[in-house]
Formats: sequence, structure tokens, C-alpha cells
Amino acid sequence: MLATIRRELNALWHDPWLLALVSYIPLLCALSLWWLFSAGIPRQLPVAVVDFDHSHISRQLTRHIDASASTQTIQFADHASAEAAMSNTQVFAMVTLPQDLSKDLKQGHTPTIDIRYNGEFLLVGKLVSSSISHSLADALLELARLKQLAAGIPVPQANINSSPITTQITALFNQNNNYVGFLIPPIFVALLQIMAMLIFANCLNREMAQSGYQQWLNSHLLRNVLAKVIVYTPLVLLQGCFMLTWLYLYQGVPYAGSLGLLVLAQVVMLLAVWLMVLLVFFLLQDSARVVSFCTALFAPAFAYMGVTFPTHEMPLLARLWRELMPSSHYIESHISVISYGDSWQMVLRQSESYWGFLVLIPVIVILAKWARKRQAEAIEVERHS
Amino acid sequence: MTFWQLIIREIKAIATDKAIALTLFGGVIFYSILYPLPYLNEVPTKQPIVVVDLDHSSLSRELIEHANASPKLLVAAQVGSITAAQQLISESRAHGLLVIPANFKRDLLTGKGVTLAYAGDASYFLIYSDVIEGLVTVGMDLNQQIQLKSLLAHGQSRQKAEQTIDPIHLNSVPVFNKILGYTPYVVPGLFLLILHQTLLIGGAILGAGQWRKQGYWSDVGAVKLVCGRICAFSIIYLFFSSFYVGYCYYLYEVSLLANAITIGLLMLPFILATAACGLALSCLFTRRDLPTQVVLLASMPILFVSGFVWPIGLIPEPLVWLSQIVPAIPAIMAMLKLNQLGADWSVILPLWLHLWLLFAIYFALACYGFTRHKRPQLID
Repeated sequence: MLATIRRELNALWHDPWLLALVSYIPLLCALSLWWLFSAGIPRQLPVAVVDFDHSHISRQLTRHIDASASTQTIQFADHASAEAAMSNTQVFAMVTLPQDLSKDLKQGHTPTIDIRYNGEFLLVGKLVSSSISHSLADALLELARLKQLAAGIPVPQANINSSPITTQITALFNQNNNYVGFLIPPIFVALLQIMAMLIFANCLNREMAQSGYQQWLNSHLLRNVLAKVIVYTPLVLLQGCFMLTWLYLYQGVPYAGSLGLLVLAQVVMLLAVWLMVLLVFFLLQDSARVVSFCTALFAPAFAYMGVTFPTHEMPLLARLWRELMPSSHYIESHISVISYGDSWQMVLRQSESYWGFLVLIPVIVILAKWARKRQAEAIEVERHS
Repeated sequence: MTFWQLIIREIKAIATDKAIALTLFGGVIFYSILYPLPYLNEVPTKQPIVVVDLDHSSLSRELIEHANASPKLLVAAQVGSITAAQQLISESRAHGLLVIPANFKRDLLTGKGVTLAYAGDASYFLIYSDVIEGLVTVGMDLNQQIQLKSLLAHGQSRQKAEQTIDPIHLNSVPVFNKILGYTPYVVPGLFLLILHQTLLIGGAILGAGQWRKQGYWSDVGAVKLVCGRICAFSIIYLFFSSFYVGYCYYLYEVSLLANAITIGLLMLPFILATAACGLALSCLFTRRDLPTQVVLLASMPILFVSGFVWPIGLIPEPLVWLSQIVPAIPAIMAMLKLNQLGADWSVILPLWLHLWLLFAIYFALACYGFTRHKRPQLID
């Protein structure tokens, strides 16, 4: 066994691409993805304001939108230019302050302020729209209070009248709605899974390219495969640890539970990834096709994790497909440990969801036997020709 | 070999190579179903929340009923304490929390202010925004009812009271993606990226497999081979893009504001530039299993830097500059502006020229790379 492990390490050392995959490529990918989202909280998103009223009140409303951290206003003289700016993505929303806004207010009519926000940029659009609504609602509350004061209602009474119920809104587990805490963990998990898949597929493919492949298949196959598991599990785990350290210890994204528990959960995820890759490898027995097939399986992992779009709202077929990906099992443990501070009992219970992957083991054994037969036949054919 | 014969040989080589065929034909069709699959229900519906009612009055019960009737909320449980509510949230049985304080009704009736507490699980953004939006709406409605009653009790006329409470009507409506659906948000950009990535992989695998072997490609000049191969891939991708942009966009209810001719005009430099890029990339590889891996690793960064998931203004500038060498980046932005946001052609003209520039650069690089790979054979 020790000799097989030594052989594997030696082969790794002489394979520049595999060496890159276990060393600098994951660092480069993880850091560039983190850098991309490092702004964290969207600030100063541009909003078009078309002010037809030019009154004290309309300027006050504009200032209120401007005062919010997430939006900044850009004045437009007419609808056409504001619409052009919308479709050119210069602005994410457009607020129309109608003519006679202040006159209508004074005369007791109810004017309408139109807000159009870009739904095509879903997350940003929602953020901008709720920010504008909040800013304007605050400004309007102030207007309503002033009106009551003007009508002779005493100050304390007017305060309560204008808002008898105040609200306190808390974002649980991600307190300032930081996108780094929200998007980066699933992105890192998807990346880790891709790295694991590529590393294992490459080290298996290398055997196939070598002349001793038949012997590798025929004698001590279990030992040969186990040696790879023993070599590459800690190496990929190191990448996982780097991602956790970078995000939670160095960048200080808050976490509730124990990170050590997540490392254990990652081990289980990696074992499941190894099984999937072995299955595809023994099935296809062609290096380019093994990589293509595994890519097809794992590339959409991010969409299926259920962080951006909730799992329980996915159609049944998507929820079934989701089970095939080890990352979607792991992310549940990740969120429960990071957000809810769950203990090892909970993680253990979640790990039970991997049981389906055990079914792969007998299938892999059968496919390995088949691969042996095909390999023997191929050599036979070669000898004849 | 004439140029036409070369194109036909190329198409044959692409279609009969199992790894390429799997990526191109299999991948393009498989991904067109697999990627949008989780989002087919478009909009998250009712999110389960847990209510902590410390008041137990008729008004608090009314508030809970209103919350349950909201299209975004479902009252999954009522518990006696915040700790118990936390437990439910950490078991993912509820994603939101509404706390009604003790003496809620009495304080309101006696004219004191009260505070309602809302909370949502912000580990999941869509869920969070829906829960909070739902709770805020319910709270505001109750607020207005109470204000109305109080003003009426003070002897104001109904019309005047309503005007005092709601002096200005806010009419906030999403445009372009009117239902705020998830597939119209993801599909336009993502599908262009799938076309881009599969085309890169196909071009690179084909080249990587041929450098060290002899075949029809050995007898053709480098520039002619590059031209023939770009034509062959473009013809195949003409069908794939028609399927994606013509049929799938329509199938997944993406907003379509441009006409077919302008879309064709946009797709032309995109496919040519991507094919040329794939060919230039192929010069870097001699192993057939490497291109897929490199392109796969680049997929996530390209997706997120393209500007529809995360606003470009917030992405660090060096990353944005670097991304300009990828044909998918200007193409996705141009497609979004032209087809989903209904911009004029003049708006996307710089992006269109950018694609042609990329085509010119990658074409030159591919010709250079092909010539270099052919040189040792000439010496033989």
C-alpha cells in the first residue's frame, strides 16, 4: 500500500497540470471570485429621477432617495432620455415625480409617484425598488406629520398618529445583507467540487494513458484506487480549508458553529465525488469523454444548491437531479453550521442523506469488471492487427 | 482540396469525434434543459414563517390572519417564545419570524406607539426579501387601518383622513421582466455563455487531437485551415444559436424586444469571434482532455463578471478590463440591452465593434498558432 501511495505521489510530482490543479489554480479561482464580489453590499446604485414638478417637495423627495446608501439619483429632463438610460443599464430604476405634485398635495388630491425598476437584473432591481420605497415612505411620513401639525394636532399625538406601529426588521444570520456571506460560500463549494472532480478524473485518466494500464486494472485494483483516495482527499481538503479560513477567519464573515465540523462534512462530500468520478471513469474509459461527462454533471452545481433560488420551490425533477450532486448535500450542513450553529449531531443526521451514493459502489464494481474485459479485448485486437 | 470540401471534411471530423460530439450536440441540448430546470417555477411562492404572539388579543389574531392571507407568507407555526422560534428557523421549518409584543392591542387603543419585530433568514436572499416584503405590507395595512380609525374618532371626514394617511400613492412596477421571474433573469446571459463555452471546447479539442497526427488537415495551408474550420463551426452554431436564441428564449418566456435581423447581426461576430478564440486556444494544447478543464474553470468567473448577476460598477476594475478579452462578455451585455431591455442598435454598436475586433485578434492568433504547429511537419 505504501509503495502504491509513493508511486502516486511521484506521478503527481511529474504531472504539471495535476500539480497546478492541487496548488495554484484553486487559489487563483477562489481569490478572483471572492474579489469579484468583494464590494459585498451594493452601494450608490444609479436611479433616474424625472422631476416634472420642480417644487420644494419634489426636491425633498429626491434628496431622500439620494440619502439612502444603496441609491444615488441622476436627474433627467424627460421620459425618453430616462428610458434610454434604463435600457442602456446606466440606471436601474426610474422615478417620476408628476407635475402639480405639491399643488395636489396642498389641495387634498392624492398624486401618484411612478417607480419603474429593472426586473431583468432581478437581485439589483429588487434591492433598488425596496430602497426607493423605503426612502419615499419615510419622506411621506414626514409630510403626513407636518400636515397634522398644521391642522392643530399636538406633536406627541401627531407622532403616534402618523405611525402607530413602528417596525424593527432583522436580517437573521447575515446581518447587513452582505453578498459575500450569501453568494461566496455556494460559489466556493461549487468550485471545490469542480476541483475535486478534475483532480480525481485526471489522476485516473493518467493510468489509462500509461502502458501498464491493464495491470493497474487487473491486480489490486481496490488498493490502487484507495491509494489515490488517500493521496488526494487531504490535498483537496486543504483547498476547502483554505476557502473556509479565507472567508471566515481572515475576512471575518460571521459564523455561528464550528469550522472543524465543516471540514469533516467536506470529507464526506469528497468521498461522494470520488464515487461519481469512478463511476463515469469505468463507464466511459476515454479521457476526454470522462472529463466532458463529469463536467456536464457538475458544472450546474451552483444552480442546484438552492441558495439563490429556494430548493422547496424547485420542480420535482430538479429536486431529484439535485440529489446526484454531493455539493447540494454539503451546502445544507454548511448553512446549518455557519448560520444556525448546529452541532455534530445535526451534521451527522444530514450526512445520512448521502446514503444513495453507497448504491454506486456495486455499480462501480460491475463497471470495473466490464472495463477490464474491454481492455483485454482491445489489447487482443491490437495484437492481431 | 477545395474550400467547400474542406468545410465538409471539418464538419465530418467534428460530428464523428465522440468527445466533441458529446460536448457540442449533447452539451448544448442537455444544458438547455438542465440549467433552467431549478427555476421553472419562476417565483418563490408562500414562505413559511413562525409567529410569536405575546399579546393573544383579537387584534394580534387579526394580524396573524392577515399575514397568512398574504401571497408571500404562510404561518407555519405559532410558538410561545423567541427561543422556540429560533429552533424552528434553524431546522429550516420556517424562514421568517414575526413577534407581536405583549399589550399590543391595549397600547394601540390607549394611543401609545408599539413596535412589531420582523426577521427573515438572510442565508437565502430571495426568501429573505419575500418574507420581509410580505411582513412589511401586512404591517403597513394594519398601521393604516389604525390611523384611519383614530382620525375618524377625532372627527375628521373619511376622505380627509384617507388623504392624511396616504398623501401620495406609490406605484412601483418592475419593467422588462414584469413577473420578476427567475428564468428571464438567468437564461439570456447563461445560454450565450453555454454556446460560448461549448464552442471553445469543441474548437480546442479538435485542434489538440490533430497536431501530432497526419490527416486531411496536413495537406491544407494554415490560413485556409483556420478559415475552413471557423466556417464549419459557424455553420453548426448557426443551428445551435437559432435553437437557443430563437426557440429556448421563447420557451422560457424571456422578454424578446429585438427583431430577428438585428439578433442575427449581433450573433454573427459573436460566433465568429468565439470560434476563432477556440482555434487560437487549441494551439496551446496537445492533450485532448485539457481544453474542457480549462474552459470549465473559467466558466464561473466569466458568468459572474458579465454583469447581469452582479452590477459591473461594483466589480473591481482590473477584473472588468481583463474580462474584455472574452467574446462572451460584450456579447451577453449586447444581447441583454438589445433583446431584453429594448435598446437601440446605436447603444450596442461599440459592443458589436468590440466583437469584430476580438474576431480579428483571435483570427490572427489562430493563423499564427496553426502556422507554428505545421512547421515541424514541413521539415519532416
